[in-house]
Amino acid sequence: MDIASITASQVIFFILAAVILAGSVMTVVSRKLLHAAVYLLFVLLATAGIYFLLNYHFLAAVQISVYIGGILVLLVFSIYLTSQVGEKMDEPGIVKKTVTMLISMGGAVFCFWVLCTGQFPYADQIHLNEIDMHAIGQSLLGTERYQYLLPFEAISVLLLACIIGGILIATGNTKKED
Amino acid sequence: MNDLVQLMRPEMLLLAQVVFLLLFDLFAPDRARRHTDAVACALFLASIAVGFLPSTTGEAFGGMFTVTAMTQVVKNVLSIGLLLVFLQSRVWLSDERTSFKKAEFYILTLSTLLGMNLMISAGHFLLFYLGLELASLPLTTLVAYNKYSDESIEAGAKFVLIAAFSSGMMLFGISLFYGAAGADGLYFDVLSSRLAATPLQLLALVFFLSGVAFKISLVPFHLWTADVYQGAPTSVTAFLSVVSKGAAVFALMFLSFRLFAPLFEYWQYVVWALVVLTITIGNLFAMRQDNMKRFLAFSSISQAGYILLGMIAGTPLAMSSVVYYLLVYLVSNLGIFAVVSILENNSGKVHISDYRGLYRTNPYLSVVLMLFLFSLGGIPPFAGFFSKFFVFMAAADQGFYVLDFIALINTVISLYYYLLVVKAMFIADSENPIPTLHTDSWSRLCLTLCLVGTLFFGVFSGIYAFLSSGAWGL
Amino acid sequence: MFDFSVITCWIDNLLRVEWGLPDFWTLAIEFVLVGVALLTAYALIALVLIYAERKICGFFQCRIGPNRVGKWGLLQVVADMIKILTKEIIPIKRSDKFLFLMAPFFVIIGSILTFAALPFGLGLQAIDFNIGVVYILAVSSLGVIGILLAGWSSNNKYSLIGAIRSGAQLVSYELSAGLSLMVAVVLAGTMQLSEIVEAQSDLWFIFKGGIFAFVAFVIYLIAGHAETNRGPFDLAEAESELTAGYHTEYSGITFGFYYVAEYTNLFIVAAIATTMFLGGWMPLHIPGFDAFNAVMDYIPTPIWFFGKCAFCIFMALWVRWSYPRLRIDQLLKLEWKVLMPITLVNLAAVAVAVTM
Repeated sequence: MDIASITASQVIFFILAAVILAGSVMTVVSRKLLHAAVYLLFVLLATAGIYFLLNYHFLAAVQISVYIGGILVLLVFSIYLTSQVGEKMDEPGIVKKTVTMLISMGGAVFCFWVLCTGQFPYADQIHLNEIDMHAIGQSLLGTERYQYLLPFEAISVLLLACIIGGILIATGNTKKED
Repeated sequence: MNDLVQLMRPEMLLLAQVVFLLLFDLFAPDRARRHTDAVACALFLASIAVGFLPSTTGEAFGGMFTVTAMTQVVKNVLSIGLLLVFLQSRVWLSDERTSFKKAEFYILTLSTLLGMNLMISAGHFLLFYLGLELASLPLTTLVAYNKYSDESIEAGAKFVLIAAFSSGMMLFGISLFYGAAGADGLYFDVLSSRLAATPLQLLALVFFLSGVAFKISLVPFHLWTADVYQGAPTSVTAFLSVVSKGAAVFALMFLSFRLFAPLFEYWQYVVWALVVLTITIGNLFAMRQDNMKRFLAFSSISQAGYILLGMIAGTPLAMSSVVYYLLVYLVSNLGIFAVVSILENNSGKVHISDYRGLYRTNPYLSVVLMLFLFSLGGIPPFAGFFSKFFVFMAAADQGFYVLDFIALINTVISLYYYLLVVKAMFIADSENPIPTLHTDSWSRLCLTLCLVGTLFFGVFSGIYAFLSSGAWGL
Repeated sequence: MFDFSVITCWIDNLLRVEWGLPDFWTLAIEFVLVGVALLTAYALIALVLIYAERKICGFFQCRIGPNRVGKWGLLQVVADMIKILTKEIIPIKRSDKFLFLMAPFFVIIGSILTFAALPFGLGLQAIDFNIGVVYILAVSSLGVIGILLAGWSSNNKYSLIGAIRSGAQLVSYELSAGLSLMVAVVLAGTMQLSEIVEAQSDLWFIFKGGIFAFVAFVIYLIAGHAETNRGPFDLAEAESELTAGYHTEYSGITFGFYYVAEYTNLFIVAAIATTMFLGGWMPLHIPGFDAFNAVMDYIPTPIWFFGKCAFCIFMALWVRWSYPRLRIDQLLKLEWKVLMPITLVNLAAVAVAVTM
C-alpha cells in the first residue's frame, strides 16, 4: 500500500485494529482476571469503533450497550463474587506454554493465509451507508425474505428459557438438599 | 396465515405448552400442582398425536423456515424420545429434593425441543444458530439440576463451557461462509448455489463441522461427554445422549444434503476420518468403564460414529438409514437409561460391579436390560441388527468397503463390552446384590414402549419401508 | 428562532472555501473546536450545578449556603475547583494502580460521550445520530464500569461494597429508564433526537402524549435520578455506612472527575428528560394561538433548553434533600416490582394507542 494514499479512515481503522489485536492478546495473557476483563473491554470498545467507522451506528450502539453495559458488567460482578479476585492465576509450565503458542500461532497463521488468499466475490453487495432506523425495525419484524421476525421470536424464547434456567440454578428449597 | 399455522404446528404447540406450564406452575393451586407430571405428559402426548396428523410442506418466512415430509418425521421421532424421557424421569422428579422444581424440568426440556425443531427446519444460518443455542443453553441448567451435588455442578460448568466454545467455532465458520458467499448467502438456498470448494469455503466447513461435532460428541471433540454424562441426573443424561444428540445429527444430515452437496467430495474425507476415530476410540474407552453412566457415554460416542457412517454416503438411501438407525438407537438407549435410573433411584448404585447378581433379585429388569444391550450391540433379531445392517449397506453402496470393514470389527468389540454388563447381571455372583425393587408404573410403561419398539422395529419391515419410500423432498 | 447552524456553517465555509483547506484538515479543526466547546460547557455546567446544589440545599435546610467568597458566594466553586486541581493524588498502598487510575476516565468518558449528542438549541448539536436515543442509552452505560473498577481497585472494603451496590442499582434502573424513553420514541416515530424535538413543535409530548407521556416522564425522572447515585438512591456512597462509597480513596483531580461526572450526569438526565418529553429547545407552542407562538419564538432556543433543564434539576434536588435513603432491598423492589411493570404496561399501551 502506498503511504501517500492512506486516508484518514484507514488510519483510524489501523489504530482500532491495533487496539483490538493488542487487547485480545492481553486478555488471554493477563494473569489477573479483572485485568483480563478490562482488556476485553478495550477490545469490545474498539470493535464498536469499527462499526462506527463503517457507519453501522445501530450495531455500534448495540455493541456498547449489550457487551459493555450488559455482559462486561456481569463479568466483573461474577469476578467480584468469586473468591480469587485479587490473586494471580498460576503460570502454566514452559512446555504447555510453548505447545499452546505453537498450535495457536499455527492456526492463526493458517487462517490468516486462507483469508488473505481467499476471494470475496460478493463483498460488493454490502452497503456502506448508514441504514435508517425504520428499515432496521421493519426488517426485524417482517416475515418476508431478508426480514427476521422468526429469529427475533426465537431469541425471546431463548431468553425466557435461560431466565427460567437461571432461576432454577439460583432457587433454594426450604428443605436443604443432600 | 393458515398455511403458517400448518407449517409451524409442532413449534407452536411446544411454545403453547411451555407457556401453559409456566403459568400453571405459577398460578395453579398446590393440589393441582402435585399432578404437574401428569398434566405435562398428557399435553405432550396430545401434541405428539397432533404431530402425526397429515400436514403441509413448504417454506415460511421467505425461506427462513422449511418443512419437508422428512423434517416432520424427524421431529416426531425426537418428540417420542422426549416423551420416553418424561416417563422415566417421574420417580426422580417426585423426590422431595427435586419435586419443588419439577415444572422447570418440563418447561426447559420442552423449550430445548423447540430449539431442536427450529434447528432442523432452519433455512438460514441465523435461525440454525439460535435453534442450536436454544437446544443447548437451557440444558446446561438441567445438567446442573442437582445443584448441591458437586458432580452435577461440575458437569454443568463443563457443559456450558463446551457449549460456548463449540458455538464460537461454529460461528467463526458461519462468518467465513458469510464472507465467501455474501450478505444474503446466509440463506441456505442461496449459499448452496454459491459453494465452489474454494479454500475459504472449505475452512468454513471445517470450523462449522467442528462446532457440530462437539454437540454430537464425535472424537476428537468428545472429551466433555463422559464427565457430563456422569455428573448430570440420569434422566437428563438420557435426554442428552438420545434426543439432544439425535437432533444435532438430524440437523447435520439436512445440512449435508441441502447445503453442503457441492462440497461433498471433501466432506467425505473429513467424515471418513471422524467415523474411524469415533467408533474405535469410543469402543476402546467403553471397555474400561465401571460407572454405568460413563460406560453409556462412551457407548453413545461409538454409536454416533455408526450414525455418521450412514451419512457419509450422501444418498437418499443413507438418509433413511440414518433416521432408522436413530429411531432404533433411541428406543434401545432410552430403555437402558430407564433401567439404570430405576436402579439408581431405588438403590443409589450406578456401577457395573454393583449389577452382579441382579438376575437373582430382579429377573425382569435384568432380562429387559439384556435385550436392550443386545439391540445396541447389533445382535439379530433385534432392531439394532437391522439398523446397523442398513447403515453398512448405505456406505457399501457408495464403495466405502474399508470403512465398513473397520466398523464391522468395532461392532464385534462393542459386543464384548455390552456382554460384560450381561455377564455381571447373569453369571457373576455377589455377596450383596441390589435388593428386589418395586418398579413404578410410569417407568414400566416406558420400558414396555422401549421394548416393543426394539422388537417391533426390527421385525416389522414397514417402518424402514416407510422411511425409505419417497424422495423426501431432497 | 435563531438557527445556530448559521454560525457553524460560516466557520465551515471559512475553512473550506476562504482558506481552501482540504477535507481532512477542515474536519480535524472542526473536531477540535467542537471538542473544546463541549468540554468547556461540560466543566462550566458542573460548576454551576455544584453552586446551585449548595445554595438550594442551604435553603432547604434553612441556612444560607456559601456566602463568603465573592458576591453571594459565587466564587466559592471556582476556589474549590482550584483547590482540587492543586491537591496531591495520593497513591494507595497495595491498590491495583492500573485499574485505580483508569477507572475515573471511564466515568467521565461515559458522560462526555452522552453530552456530545444532546441538542442544546436549534443547530447546536454536535452529532445528530439516526439512532440518537439508543446511542445515549448505550454510552451512558460506560460509567458503570468505571464505578465497579474504582470500587475494587481501591483495596478498601467500603469502596467495594459501594461499587457493587452501585452496579446493581445502575444495571437495574437502566431498564426502566430506557424503556420509558421508548414511549417518546413511539410518540415521535423516530429515534433521532433532532426529529424528536421537531415532532414536539406543535405541543410538547408531556401535554400531547396524555397520561402515557406523563407516566413515562415521571418514571424516567425517578430512574434517571437513581442512575446518578443521588439521594434517596445514594446507597453506593452512603456516607453514614460507607464513608464515601466507591470513590473513598480518590483524591485530587481523580476525585474531581467523579465529582464533576456526578453533577454532569444530573444535568444529562435532566437534558434527556427535557428533550424527550418537554420539547427540548422547542419553545412552548399551543396550536391555534399563533400570536402567542410567535412571541415565544423570540426567546432564544438555548434559554428554553436550559430553563427546562433547570426545572428538572430543581425537582431532582428537591427530592434529594427531602427523602431518606432507601435500603438496598427496597431499592431493587422499587425497580423490579413497581417501575418495571408500570413501564412495560405503559409502553405497550402507548404503542396500541398510537397505532389506533
